Amino acid sequence: MIAHGKNATGSMPQRIVFWCLRIATYFVLACATYIFLDITIKGSRAVFITHPPFVNFAFLSQAPETLYVFDYEGKKTTMGDREFREWKTTHQIDDANVTSVAYSAGGIWPCIVGTALLVIGSMTFALLVGISSAIYLSEYSRNGRLVRLVRIAILNLAGVPSIVFGLFGFGLFVIFFGWNVSLLAGWFTLGLMVLPAIITASEESLRAVPQGLREGSLALGATQWQTIRKNVLPYALPGILTSSILGIARVAGETAPIMFTAAYAVRDTMPWNVSKWSEFPFQGVMALPYHIYVVSSKIPQNEYTARVQYGAAFVFLALVMLIALSSVLLRQRVRMRLQW
Amino acid sequence: MVTLEKMPDVISTPSIPPATEAPQKAQIEIKDFEFAYGENRVLHSVNLQILPRAVTAFIGPSGCGKTTLLRCINRMNDLVDSARVERGEILIDGININAPEIDVVDLRRRVGMVFQKSNPFPKSIYDNIAYGLRVAGVTKRSRINEAVETSLRSAALWDEVKDRLDRSGLSLSGGQQQRLCIARALAVEPEIILMDEPCSALDPIATARIEELIHELKTQYTIVIVTHNMQQASRCSDFTGFFYLGNLVEFANTAKIFSNPTRRQTEDYITGRFG
Amino acid sequence: MNGSTVTVTSPPAAHKVAARGGRTGEALIRLFFGGNAIIAVVVLVLITLFLFREGFGFFGGNLQNLRVYRSGGLEYVDIIRDQADANSALSRALSDVRVKELRGLMQKGRSLDEANGDLGAFDQFATAFSDAGTDLAGLVSDLTDQAAAVKEQTMLGSGAASVGPEDGETPSVTPAVAATVESIRASYPDYERITATMSEALRNLLANPPALTTPLAQEAFNRVNEKTREYLAAFPAQAERLRAWDPAKPVRWHQAITAFLFDQRWITASFWQDWYGIVPLLVGSIMVSIVALILAVPFGVASAIYVSEIATRPEQRLIKPYIEFIAAIPSVVLGFFGIAVVGQAIRTASESTWFHWVSFFPLSERLNVFTAGALLGLMAVPTIFTLSEDALRNVPRGFKEASYALGANRLQTIGRVIVPASLSGIMSAILLGLGRVIGETMVVLLCAGNRIAIPDFTQGLGAFFQPVHTMTGIIAQEMGEVVRGSIHYRALFMVGLVLFALTLLINLAAQRIAARYRMSIG
Repeated sequence: MIAHGKNATGSMPQRIVFWCLRIATYFVLACATYIFLDITIKGSRAVFITHPPFVNFAFLSQAPETLYVFDYEGKKTTMGDREFREWKTTHQIDDANVTSVAYSAGGIWPCIVGTALLVIGSMTFALLVGISSAIYLSEYSRNGRLVRLVRIAILNLAGVPSIVFGLFGFGLFVIFFGWNVSLLAGWFTLGLMVLPAIITASEESLRAVPQGLREGSLALGATQWQTIRKNVLPYALPGILTSSILGIARVAGETAPIMFTAAYAVRDTMPWNVSKWSEFPFQGVMALPYHIYVVSSKIPQNEYTARVQYGAAFVFLALVMLIALSSVLLRQRVRMRLQW
Repeated sequence: MVTLEKMPDVISTPSIPPATEAPQKAQIEIKDFEFAYGENRVLHSVNLQILPRAVTAFIGPSGCGKTTLLRCINRMNDLVDSARVERGEILIDGININAPEIDVVDLRRRVGMVFQKSNPFPKSIYDNIAYGLRVAGVTKRSRINEAVETSLRSAALWDEVKDRLDRSGLSLSGGQQQRLCIARALAVEPEIILMDEPCSALDPIATARIEELIHELKTQYTIVIVTHNMQQASRCSDFTGFFYLGNLVEFANTAKIFSNPTRRQTEDYITGRFG
Repeated sequence: MNGSTVTVTSPPAAHKVAARGGRTGEALIRLFFGGNAIIAVVVLVLITLFLFREGFGFFGGNLQNLRVYRSGGLEYVDIIRDQADANSALSRALSDVRVKELRGLMQKGRSLDEANGDLGAFDQFATAFSDAGTDLAGLVSDLTDQAAAVKEQTMLGSGAASVGPEDGETPSVTPAVAATVESIRASYPDYERITATMSEALRNLLANPPALTTPLAQEAFNRVNEKTREYLAAFPAQAERLRAWDPAKPVRWHQAITAFLFDQRWITASFWQDWYGIVPLLVGSIMVSIVALILAVPFGVASAIYVSEIATRPEQRLIKPYIEFIAAIPSVVLGFFGIAVVGQAIRTASESTWFHWVSFFPLSERLNVFTAGALLGLMAVPTIFTLSEDALRNVPRGFKEASYALGANRLQTIGRVIVPASLSGIMSAILLGLGRVIGETMVVLLCAGNRIAIPDFTQGLGAFFQPVHTMTGIIAQEMGEVVRGSIHYRALFMVGLVLFALTLLINLAAQRIAARYRMSIG
């Protein structure tokens, strides 16, 4: 009765279907790989150079400038804004023959700084509030109406589009509180946006701590807060932090919420050049994702703009991917280490 | 069970004290106590008196409410959503522990607990023992050192671990972990120790060590133990309560329960006809 | 417990005090954490509140806007304008006919010059056709100038009519405005004269159609002919509309809402009349989402099935994190990639000979619904993949084992047991993917082409290769430039509110379905 020849690969239709599924899966991977490779290869030309030290520090450490393109003595010449102005003092050039391309010279340093500031501030806020909420939900709360409400709110908040967060941040922080376009407004907008993710991740980590530890501690006469501080949080914290790194990737990667709350297309002064430290959070900054938006939509695609477009996209992609990768790796390590 | 029967030499059979008829003041009094999880009533009108410095065992089939009652004595059920006292009270030294003015932290310091599954903290052995003192605000190093040694000695673990107090509590064997948990409970100097099936996850030898320990501890502590194992109850307790479906069916001197129970249900359970 | 007799050597009194002092401390700590937990609720409420706060004034402003449109006579002018525009549209259709005929002639071996010569008669016809509309267009242009001047006056008079709520049912009409409206209406005899001439001219033209040699061109010409007849037949009705038009006819309050929800025009910062109809944006968002889901659902679900049921362990370990990695690609980078690579690639592909059979190829726009949809599809794949994979993995082992035990092979088990059992989980994954796609901003802003118009659905699937604008895109694009407090500003908040409500609904539906899934697998 047992059919012969039916080996592990199965019948013909089964093989065909499985191959279709396999092809679909690898097609998705191929698309993603293509994007990574395209941006990496073309972006590397801006960021890396062929001679030591191999990294184009100028691109990473300068502010964006306008690029000037012109023919000089039969040669096509390109110059950044400052260089061009200096050069003009010693050379004669007819302005009519000079084409200028915005943003295409210099580098992206202020954008990197701005993004870093936005990430640090919003993650501090989100972690503080998120971990506290998670502690309440996992350690203190009883299943009451309020807690159900909180959970529903978290679930739905997670689905709110980022542009709506941007509108909300604009309405509340920028206009109602009168903070204008500022780091502070960006911190809160981005922080609130990742809050659901942080709460969910933190709660999961807290719940992974065995109940026995809590009971053991309480039975020894520890108060609830002592129990949480000494016997729950220390074991949950690695998990909370690694899961939250994904939140960092999201905060760093979002453009829509900061478009009208925190980001400027151009700003000449660096954030630390403020007259008073109290003004620090009330200044807008340049941000890498917004800069990419600006350079990819407001200037044409050509040989002169490709450098800054691909360079910025590559640096940004590399940063975000590095963060995401470290989250994945750390999570694996934490899972292995904390086996209850 | 067979293995246990085969090793009577390891187990020092506790001498069951003669049923003292002398009126002794009960330390824990459970009066007309009813308890529920949500709509589900799990204890029906339990009345019980537990004498100081004796071992009282709760036996009964799974789900009979014995663990629930035990966890009510130090209000561990506060942690459970929807758990509530329906009626009656539990008095310790004459004071109602469910009264609103009672500090539950204080209560738990006086009523220690050892759990079914040993739950040492993922800290060093030393820190495990010191934990209870530290949360109580003791900072003096010498006092903690002293308490660590005393309680580890009381739990008969000192000799095995004295050279590696800085090792993780999780590195110990199952039986040692459970004794560590007992030592941890002793370190805060409770008056009462509750044990919730402390040997259920242990092998016979480790079980024997714990039972021996219980026997020694009862000279200083009031011990309440929940067990599935009737031999264990008969070996190490002075009084036994038999629970069935949330009711305390019978409570008496252990010798009496096991040799001459008054209720039919008790007899059936003890002789293994159900449960 | 201090009343009790402490029999054992009790812990020192010092820490008892500490414990007592700690009780209020504990309560405060609890309160602190609880307070933080409430923030999620507060934020959700605040979002709703602020979208309403900033958005709601829109209706008042828009009502005012619509009232000015009527009382200022702009509506009257627009009736005539529509008629004039329809004539130009027919003229344009004639030039399409000309192109077809020209191509046909050249295929028959005529040179370009010869073919142009052959078309002399047709050109004459077409010129006469468009000339017939010149007078009407002139009238429209005159009236437009008058009405626009009135409108400007009204706006100045009421202190930027865009702001502030409406004041009573009928806005007070200044004598100057009334005078102008009267002068606009006084043009009616001119209108009648012009349309009569025009109608006659067109009829004469239609009676003597130029000869065409190509069947394709003839067919197209017949369609124009048909349309022109319909157009002429509608003239009396148009005249009737103009006669019946009344500047004092009240604009009811609900028209401000219906205009927002159903009007097909989103025209802002225009000298003539602003329209805030969400339909073109909504249609754009929906079309992009449809393309994204059509691409993402098969790929996402297929890879979920593949990874959870078929792939080997090492494959799983590679594919799962990789796909989750895709989720981390910032959307602005994807958008840039769309502009730099995908859009051009799609256009180049549409020009290739392989796709000659597709009627709407080659494409004229590289940024269109399909470009944005394809990239959003890639973004949605990780969401759909991860959640579907979870659902598939959570199907109890027993189901699978029972199926194998009954002699089913792997394909049968997957197709008849595992996928059906996790279907509601997969559905919920797809809905969450939809929520992500419809709320995504940067990709559509960069790649959807940003043309505020409902695509031409007469082209069939070709509509999916036309540029659109979306709800998220319009907010991102226009929010930075509007005057705070203007109707335009408030209209953008209203769009945000619609978006918010829409994603909330999708999210709730996904949760409902997910709950059913958890029940169905026990």
